[in-house]
Amino acid sequence: MNKKSILQRSRLYAKTRTHFTGKGYLEVETPALADGLIPEPAIHVFETSFTSPFHPSSLCWLTPSPEVFMKQLLAEGSGNIFQISKCFRNSEQIGAYHNPEFSMLEWYTVDADYRDSIAHTEEYISAVAPSGTPEHLLPPFRIESMHNLCFSHAGIDLDKLQTLGKLRDASVRLGISESDTPDTWESLFNRIFLTFVEPEIPQDHPLVITDYPAQIHCLASNKATSPYKERWELYAGGIELANCYTEEINPDRVEEFFREESAALAARFDVPNAPIPDSPHDYHLLFCNQEKPFPPCSGTALGLDRLLMLLGGYDTIEGVILFPISARL
Amino acid sequence: MIKAGQIEKGMALLIKGAPFIVVEREFVNPGKGSAFVRAKLKSPSTGQVLRETMKTQDTVEDITVDDRDSQYLYNDGENYHFMHTVTFDQFEIPMSSFENYQYLMKDGETYRITFWGDIPLDIIIPYKVVYEVAEAQDAIKGDTVTGATKVIVTETGLKVKVPIFIKQGERILVNTETGEYLERVNR
Repeated sequence: MNKKSILQRSRLYAKTRTHFTGKGYLEVETPALADGLIPEPAIHVFETSFTSPFHPSSLCWLTPSPEVFMKQLLAEGSGNIFQISKCFRNSEQIGAYHNPEFSMLEWYTVDADYRDSIAHTEEYISAVAPSGTPEHLLPPFRIESMHNLCFSHAGIDLDKLQTLGKLRDASVRLGISESDTPDTWESLFNRIFLTFVEPEIPQDHPLVITDYPAQIHCLASNKATSPYKERWELYAGGIELANCYTEEINPDRVEEFFREESAALAARFDVPNAPIPDSPHDYHLLFCNQEKPFPPCSGTALGLDRLLMLLGGYDTIEGVILFPISARL
Repeated sequence: MIKAGQIEKGMALLIKGAPFIVVEREFVNPGKGSAFVRAKLKSPSTGQVLRETMKTQDTVEDITVDDRDSQYLYNDGENYHFMHTVTFDQFEIPMSSFENYQYLMKDGETYRITFWGDIPLDIIIPYKVVYEVAEAQDAIKGDTVTGATKVIVTETGLKVKVPIFIKQGERILVNTETGEYLERVNR
């Protein structure tokens, strides 16, 4: 057991709370056990059931992120909120950067967009980094669009490769092998990104990759007149550390997302017998209230175990997690 | 055939008809994306490096290999020459496929070579190896900076950054993957 990391985590959480409460954010706590989740076909969840002698038993799922609940608070007029919570993801690799149970910092800023959140994240990292933190983990962040990174490292112009056919032609030229199951635009893009771009991203400063393709479905709003979303991911030390959106608040688009992703979730086959969580089909109604309009906002989720690992100079998150699952299985 | 999710480092795979050795393998979950296996593969015959990102459920062709103890004889600038210790058969492996291995291997030492049929695929060098310090400058008197280092040359020609107290003729333990000094070995 690493006693030093216990102290480092305690300090990080204390500084995190001081930082956000000092800026007027309200700390909230939402359930880890949910009766419905945002449909995300790429995420596997832990399923359990509620049992009682007095009620019919029902399935429930451990939350892979607190988003499903935090947006309900925003709809109620909570204003700026943050949360440090346990999140659970099943079927992922166990090891250096993954543990099925992990800690996430998630915060929402109203009347802000994803660009504002870059500055907020820089402020946060500056506020919690201990003195002596190496420069490559500290602001200022480098900011590069996904389009430019793909152009520099894979030699492709994403603007012009928005159909599956065109992206497939490009992937053949790049030598991407054919998959046993037909690639979607998203899976092909991910394979190109992971093969040519991600291994090459600069590590001299944290890097924010902005404007992810809209064909990777998520609850970020579309970037006007472009095939991209107002979404970024932060890499530090070459590791994916945070994900941010200008949140989609158009109820029709939220409803469409739930409908399409629920269908994709039901058709998923990559892990045999993997549980398929229910999704609240009326979730879009949160964004329809005329009397209490859902505020325009930006949300950021940041992996606290990974941050602790980087700031503490550890090689793996197992160094900062007490009783990591890799040591128990 | 195996699933891409079962690929491991050191495994031999047949890619488009040619044998490749897996030199790196990791699982990656891009944000909002499903899991992929990212592998770096190397062709032993040409030295070509291939990066592949596959879905975990994709199938790949693994090939059956066997390891044979072989004595490293010498290199001629283009090939490493080995001799199988049981059959005394001699064979060569292009130096371009295993760059800088001449600095890691000792003449006359036995190494495990991975074969696919009659084709040598991989030279396995132990993770930690003891080398003799062939060239080292004496520490400068009065240099008492803690953690001061210097570069020495081993009997194989490997340059290693070592603490300043290491002397010529001493033996040191080296991590062959990173080329880093680990410790001084007492006689």
